[in-house]
Formats: sequence, C-alpha cells, structure tokens
Amino acid sequence: MLQLTHEGGGNQRLVIRVPGWPGFDPGQFVMLSPGALSGVMRSDPLLPRPMAVYRETRSGDDCEIEILFKRHGRGTALLADSLPGQRLRLVGPLGRGFQVPGAGEQALLVAGGTGVASIRELAARCAEQAGPMPRVLLGARSAVDLMGLSDFETLEVSLGVSTEDGSLGREGRVTDLLEDVLAKDEPFRVYCCGPTPMMRRVAELAEAAGRPCVVSLENPMACGFGVCLGCAAPMRAGGYALVCREGPVFAASDLSWEGMP
Amino acid sequence: MSAVDTRVNLAGIELRNPVLTASGTFGYGTEFAAFLDLREIGGLVAKSLTLKPRFGNPPPRISETASGMLNAISLENVGVESFLSEKLPALPDEVTVLASIFETDIGRYAEVARRLGESSRIAGLELNASCPHVQSGGIEFGQDPGALGELVSRVRAAVRLPLLVKLSPNVTDIAEMARVCEAEGADGVSLINAVQAMDVDVERGRPVLSNVLGGLSGPAILPIALRMVWQVYHAVSLPICGIGGIATAEDALKFMLCGATAVQVGTANYLDPSVSGRVAAGIRSYALERGVARVADLVGSLEVPSGAPGR
Repeated sequence: MLQLTHEGGGNQRLVIRVPGWPGFDPGQFVMLSPGALSGVMRSDPLLPRPMAVYRETRSGDDCEIEILFKRHGRGTALLADSLPGQRLRLVGPLGRGFQVPGAGEQALLVAGGTGVASIRELAARCAEQAGPMPRVLLGARSAVDLMGLSDFETLEVSLGVSTEDGSLGREGRVTDLLEDVLAKDEPFRVYCCGPTPMMRRVAELAEAAGRPCVVSLENPMACGFGVCLGCAAPMRAGGYALVCREGPVFAASDLSWEGMP
Repeated sequence: MSAVDTRVNLAGIELRNPVLTASGTFGYGTEFAAFLDLREIGGLVAKSLTLKPRFGNPPPRISETASGMLNAISLENVGVESFLSEKLPALPDEVTVLASIFETDIGRYAEVARRLGESSRIAGLELNASCPHVQSGGIEFGQDPGALGELVSRVRAAVRLPLLVKLSPNVTDIAEMARVCEAEGADGVSLINAVQAMDVDVERGRPVLSNVLGGLSGPAILPIALRMVWQVYHAVSLPICGIGGIATAEDALKFMLCGATAVQVGTANYLDPSVSGRVAAGIRSYALERGVARVADLVGSLEVPSGAPGR
C-alpha cells in the first residue's frame, strides 16, 4: 500500500504498488482482501471485495494501480484504515471488461455511485481515439459523494453531472441526463456501471432508443475467478452467467433483470 | 529438508502430502493453475457431479457471515460426461484427482459412480451424501442412518475405486453415521460438509439467500468440525479426511492430531487461491522442526491428560 486519500463522502482513493501487474482492460476488477496482511490470517471479515481497477501508472517494471471505493461496511472500513507500507492481498486483473469502441464510434458512458470507478479507464481510452468526443454522464446523491470528478474533468470528454440533491450539476438522476442525450438521436453506444436499478433503467432507455448498451454488473462474489459460483446473473435466454468470468461486462440485451440481485 | 516423509495413504489413495482441496471450492482444478502448482498439494476433490449437467439456484446465492460465509449454489455442475471428456484431461497427470458424486436417488448415485469408475485417471470417489442446500437429495441420505447405509452399499457395489463418504454435520450423532459407512464397505469418511444455516436481511425483512437455507463454511465452523473428527476417530477404524474452516497449516495440524489422515482446504481457496500449497508446506515444516520423520505419524497423536472427560 502506497497511499490512501479520503476524498469526502466516504470515498477513498487507494494506491497500491503491484509487482508483476500485467496491465488491464477497462472494466476489469481485482479481489482485494479487507485490511492489511499480518502474520495471522484474518477470518473476519473473511471474503475479498471485488473492486474495479481505476487507473494504472507504470514506471519501468513497477506498476501502481489506483482503486476508488466507498467506505460503507466493515471490509471497506478496514481497507480505508490501512497504512502506507502495509501489504494487501490482491487477486487480479479479473473478468472480461469493456471492449473499447472503434475509432469513429460515438461512446456514451453512464455511471452512478461507485460505478464511476469502473468507467474511468474506458473514458480515458475513448478520449485518446480520433473521432467524435465521448460523452460521459456521472450521477451521485450529492456533490460530496461523486468520486473521481477531477480526473474526468481533465479528459477530452463531454462531461455531464447530476446529483439527486442538486448540489452539483443538474438536480435529479443520471438517467434524466441520459434521456436528454438519447433524444438527440445520435448513434451512441452506451456503456454503463452503477446500482442495479440504475443500470436496468439505462438499459431500458437505450433499448427504447435503439442504441446498443453494455453494463458492468457488481454482484457479490467470494472468489472472482469462477469457482464459488456465487455471482451468477440470470440471463434472458435462461440459466445463469458468472459475473466474474463471463462478465462483469454484459450486453444488456442478454440479461434478465428480473431476479438480478 | 528431505528428512520428512510427507506421504499419507488415505483409504487406499497414495497422496504426496495430506492436503487436498475440498469439493465445490476448487472448481475442476484448472481454475487454480494460475495461482498454484497443483503438484504442491496432495490432490484435489473436484466439484460434485450429477448424471446430467445442472444449473444452480437463483441469486443471491452467497452471503458473508461472522468468520464465514453462507452458500446455496445447489450443486451447479457440468455433468459426469463433460467432466470425463473435458475437465479431467485438462489436468496434469501428476495431479491426484478425486471425484465427488451427488444425485437425488440411489440408482442415479450408483450410475454416476459406475461411470467414474471406468476412468483410470480418477484416484478415488467422495460420496456427497450431505449437501445442505438442495431440496431433495443429499441431506436426506446424510441425516438418516438407514438411507445412508443403503446408499453406501449400492455405490460400493457399483465401483471398485477407493470410496470416501462425506458426512453431514447436521446430525445428532456423527459417530453413528460413520459406523454405518464402515459397516457398508466405505474405505473412509470425509467430514464435515457445511453446517446448515441461514441469515436475515432486517432492512428488507427477508432471508438473505434466495434458497432461504444455506451451508455455513469457513473458520466459523472449524471447532465444530474438529470435535466431530475427534468423535469419529474414536468410533471407527476408517481413515478420516478432515474438513471445516482450514486456512493455515496450524488448522490442518489440529485435524491431524485429532485423527484425520488427510485434510481438505475449502472456503479459504476463495480468498487466497494459493493457500493450499502453503498449508502443505507448513505441515512439512512442523514435522521437520519437531523431528517427526513421517507426517503420517502425527495422525491421532493428540495427547489428552489421563482422567480427562470422554468423547
């Protein structure tokens, strides 16, 4: 662990040096065990937490990765209390992330809550491409809750922000912003991460507008690599898919939102 | 370092060391190849197989609890034929593989066993008579001595491979269940499976798991498992494979001292996919430090003061 910054609203920015880090695709995640490692195994809380990789910084063979997360339970509290120099257990990068849209394709990224952390890398890679400037819509309960805003402001993207209490950007939900953007009838491809009800609404709006949409699911999981089978997501065609291995990014049209945890 | 012989013989299965990985927590083995040299462990017990492929329960399927987790996956698996044709050949030859069987009636159990018995690649079978979150099937066999006896007898007749029976902790007298297995020709017993349990979401006023009931696993159940291994060790002469919350060599050694010939690492594989190799190495170090020539000599070596209460 190199650095931890409290960013307001319970949001934390964790910087970790990861020996042998192989690089990552936008939308991939790591399993981060709660709290620093010591000589004694921690049994409570027991399970690692899935966390999106926010950004990586390479210098030679060394790599630092950033994780943005919100302190809201015992596991994230332990992570938020870890100190520089302590060792953390991390397994990753895991999962199948977002496919970066081709040059010339118009990307529309929509994120709410901690889902913002899952789309920053995608926004950055879209911004580097020639062609139409990607649009990014971010939503939070309140201005203080919005994570990573300054990082998005430095990207070559067209940024829209909404807060439920109106303390920043437009008052309301990010899906309200999305409705306005979709009404412009541009050929957007929609990329989304956030709370399940929000993703479901985004998927419905995109489908109604005839726009392709992918979502990154955040189902609870114990392992992250396809063995606990805890993260199963119901599919429209029947049966289940593992969020950790077949996802976390899915075409919204493949999912069955009924029964999604 | 070569002074310690780490090999054990579990119910006729030669293991290079006493550490296996528990069924349902280790997939079909290949999922762990990126994290662990599978030759560092004694072997693996693959995910329980049914005659036909099987989907699991709707989500939520898992939930974290104090020092443990609940699961109600319901034995999702690829089916015995895909296991034999696809999963098994993907594992290196040096890896000792035990297959686990689950079914909903005795005839189907025996049929899965017979199919697996045709493979020379499988070192032994573990009969899962005790899944705590399937509505009909395992647990009925695991909780009724008469039904368990009949199941073991029929599977025994169907297959010549070494046969371990995985016992349910959700019984009044675990020793009685072990005696039944011994009487019906099992070669060993594995214990314990997950402890039947549940949790409640107070905000929503609903059970946490879609299946309502699930199986509790992880460090929370270790002392229960240890007690049961100790009781079974004194009730039967069958070899025991100890399971329940093992995450360190110290945990594994507790089971061996109480009478387990080998152990299985389960839930800990989720949080630390290379942990089983370190458990094996730690057992070896313990024996080396104490001048124990054979790890097998540790089995049942618990010293209980004379006059201590019975078991």
